[in-house]
Amino acid sequence: MGARWNQRVVAGTAVGAAAVLASWLGVGTARAATALSIAAVVLVAALALISSSEFRRDHPVVARAAISVAAVDVSLVVTGFFSSTVDSNLAIGAAMSIVLLGLSFLTGSSGQISIGNGAFMGVGAFTVAIWANHHATTPIAVVLLLAVVAGALVGLLLGLPATRLRGPYLAGMTLAFAVAFGAVLNLFSTWTGGDSGLQLPYAVNAPAWLVHFFQPGTSSLTTNSVWLVDVTIVTAGIALFFMANLFASRTGRAMRLVRDNDVAAELVGISLPRARVIAFTVSAAYAALGGGLWTIINNAVTPATYGFALSITILSLVVIGGIGTIPGALIGGLIYAFAASVIAWFTAHTGLNPQGNVASQLNGIIFGGLLVLTILFAPTGIAGFVRRRWAAWRSR
Amino acid sequence: MGSFLTSRNVADVLGGLTNGVIYSLVALSLVLVWRSTRILNFAQGAMAMIAAYIGFAVLAPTTNYWVSMAVAIIAGLVLGGLTERVIVRGLYGKPEINPVVAMVGFLLVLESVAAAIWSTTSRGLPTPFSIVDWQINHKPVALSPFALYEIVTAVVVMTVIALLFQFTKLGLKLRAAALAPEVSRLLGVRVGRMLTLGWMLSSGVGAVTAVLVASNYFTGLTPTTMDGVFAFGFIAAAIGGLDSPVGALVSGVSLGIILQFVGDYLNSNDIILVALGMLIVSLMVRPNGVFTRSAQRRV
Amino acid sequence: MIRANGLSVTYGAVQALRDVTFTAETGAITAVLGANGAGKTTLLRAISGLVAPRSGTVSLDETTLTGERPEDIVRRGVGHVPEGRGVIAEFTVEENLRLGAMISPMPLRDGLNQQYEWFPVLGERRKQAAATLSGGERQMLAMARALIAKPTVLLLDEPSLGLAPLVTAQLMHTVSELCATTGLTVILVEQNAKSALRIARRAVVLYLGRVVADDDAAAVAQDDQLRQYYLGMVK
Repeated sequence: MGARWNQRVVAGTAVGAAAVLASWLGVGTARAATALSIAAVVLVAALALISSSEFRRDHPVVARAAISVAAVDVSLVVTGFFSSTVDSNLAIGAAMSIVLLGLSFLTGSSGQISIGNGAFMGVGAFTVAIWANHHATTPIAVVLLLAVVAGALVGLLLGLPATRLRGPYLAGMTLAFAVAFGAVLNLFSTWTGGDSGLQLPYAVNAPAWLVHFFQPGTSSLTTNSVWLVDVTIVTAGIALFFMANLFASRTGRAMRLVRDNDVAAELVGISLPRARVIAFTVSAAYAALGGGLWTIINNAVTPATYGFALSITILSLVVIGGIGTIPGALIGGLIYAFAASVIAWFTAHTGLNPQGNVASQLNGIIFGGLLVLTILFAPTGIAGFVRRRWAAWRSR
Repeated sequence: MGSFLTSRNVADVLGGLTNGVIYSLVALSLVLVWRSTRILNFAQGAMAMIAAYIGFAVLAPTTNYWVSMAVAIIAGLVLGGLTERVIVRGLYGKPEINPVVAMVGFLLVLESVAAAIWSTTSRGLPTPFSIVDWQINHKPVALSPFALYEIVTAVVVMTVIALLFQFTKLGLKLRAAALAPEVSRLLGVRVGRMLTLGWMLSSGVGAVTAVLVASNYFTGLTPTTMDGVFAFGFIAAAIGGLDSPVGALVSGVSLGIILQFVGDYLNSNDIILVALGMLIVSLMVRPNGVFTRSAQRRV
Repeated sequence: MIRANGLSVTYGAVQALRDVTFTAETGAITAVLGANGAGKTTLLRAISGLVAPRSGTVSLDETTLTGERPEDIVRRGVGHVPEGRGVIAEFTVEENLRLGAMISPMPLRDGLNQQYEWFPVLGERRKQAAATLSGGERQMLAMARALIAKPTVLLLDEPSLGLAPLVTAQLMHTVSELCATTGLTVILVEQNAKSALRIARRAVVLYLGRVVADDDAAAVAQDDQLRQYYLGMVK
């Protein structure tokens, strides 16, 4: 740790101190400012760790944890300043980015693709709702873990043929699963509530001590959406951390070698039967986690949400964001968070009838079109495009 | 004899046969492009749906079924050719998931565009024959004139395709281009043209299928009419082996009949589940399909 | 007469052919010899249009072939029997031949009869799937399929590969007879230098994509150094 390391610490501390000072001056209550100060200190510490290349090399796992912490830290602070609408969108998008991380890993590590991850999301979403309706006292973190386990089990079951299947066959099978998922739910309609789905028996609220800290004297946060988005972001951060380690594992490294070698070969992975099943299972588990979070955010679940269309949307997002990469999944989540708003804005400003056929189909036309164009002309998506531009810019 | 023909099991076989030939046509359509271009066309159903809309919606004033059918087939041929030239051509030699993604995207575009133009409201198509079942001794046989027409049409389409491939110069070139593209070029076959033709034929078969489906099922024609049919057709093709036209036909009809029994003796919700189960089991046992010899597989 | 002029071909970073120039005389067999990876197959692929050269040209008599597509080059009379024969195993013998006859000016029946005359065994097996043929029979089928289109130039890529010496000798004999009776120009790529030199008029030796010798076949056969270093012939 030489002179540059010290410079970084000094600079980071200075920035952190400035942020703390600014927060004390700019934020209304002393307690909010305290929270901001803590966030600033955590961020500076995390950034200090990440910025050292020696540290990244010697302690890669801790460095990845620091990256996740830094990302979560910034996101949490930022959500406090947004409207509840934006926060809800972000929560939905953050949950989606977990789903996309899973699919990205599947493709990146095995060259396989799933068109059924919407259904795996449904597995998680219904697991959470069913469990919560029968055991209302189970802590929410445990319920989410159950959703992950359920997703992994279903994924394993469907993924077993994946050891022997070539890509298009597997894709077709996942498509059949996505189409059949409604019937699966119907089969267990006494548990899943049939067409109307299920309500959560309780709203997921912030714990009392936290409410007390920020808004002494009130029983809950004024906007629950902040709490929900924060829960989602923290979960996404944990998912990101695990995924980063998976990507860096032996399988992940082999996959990256192939990927960075050639633009055309970008999507080709290594082909080990066991790795394939694991990747498929992981991707299903991640999808289930995202679905479980959606149930918590919406406080309800309906089967219609988890139809074939969702699976296609997931595929679009991961390809447009940049398949097989972590940033691609996060970009896809962000796109999903704001796509509806952007399209609504577009509709409003082009004078389309918002209730008309064209306006209601814009989403599909745009996503489908982007999906085709991306795979034809920029198969590495936004993440790959930015990475190449960045590399070109640096090598100039 | 009469009571036999109107019995429950015969009814299931006949009903299953009527559905099964539809699955066979979808499977055949998939096999046609898989063999030549190694692409599983996930947009097959959506392309067929568009062709049916063009046949029947664009020509709404013309109430002649046969004119509309002809227009739908031509639309299907053109759409298939355009798809190959504009989208698929850029996907040859790419990682195998690229075409999957592209065709799923195309599916989304087609369904959205269809809904934007023609709305998601179902429209009933005219039927050239009665859809009321024939009766023996005042009991219905599970076969209507329309169902028979469906079966006959499917048989005609399959026969035409088989004759074309087996006994014509063009068929020889189409098969050669699919089996050995480079050698074919060395023998003067314009392989690019053959691939386009293969997609056109496949899409033409799809157009016929979609018109049959939309005029038979109570759902009528909607942008998503073909989703379920496509899923069953794919399952049939995958079980039979995507390389085998014969496999497509046999497993399509078998699937139709088996599922009819499932729907009758269990319940209609279980149909897709049983189909999914059959797909998973068959893919685990024979990953390349029941009718494909593994040595025949080429990359 | 077919002529390559300054032909260079690269695959990615690998240079498969470097500035190759040679002439194959009309009505004669020109042998192209060399070890594995010398660029022999690439040379044939460049002539028939399967690979685009980075520079240089190929011309047939007065016309330039470079830049044309393989399906057009074969229509100009350049038949190519590719490495590994390229027989379509799922087709019957006759279907293979019919495919080759598509661009022939002759009526199909006459073309088939002529080939069955040259290669009687193919006539006997015309209804059999090509997959059931032996290696030698497959090679005959591949040659017949190219010849039925009435080419003026025939490119043969390692016809002797995997064949028994006796079969090879028979095959070489057929090739030389074809050449003599029909005025066919043959470019014969071979690793089996000995049998190729026996029937060739001229020989071109490639080494790492470069022409290291271009001379009368007899002279190449006599050249001990060439034989030892480039052709791996001990005796």
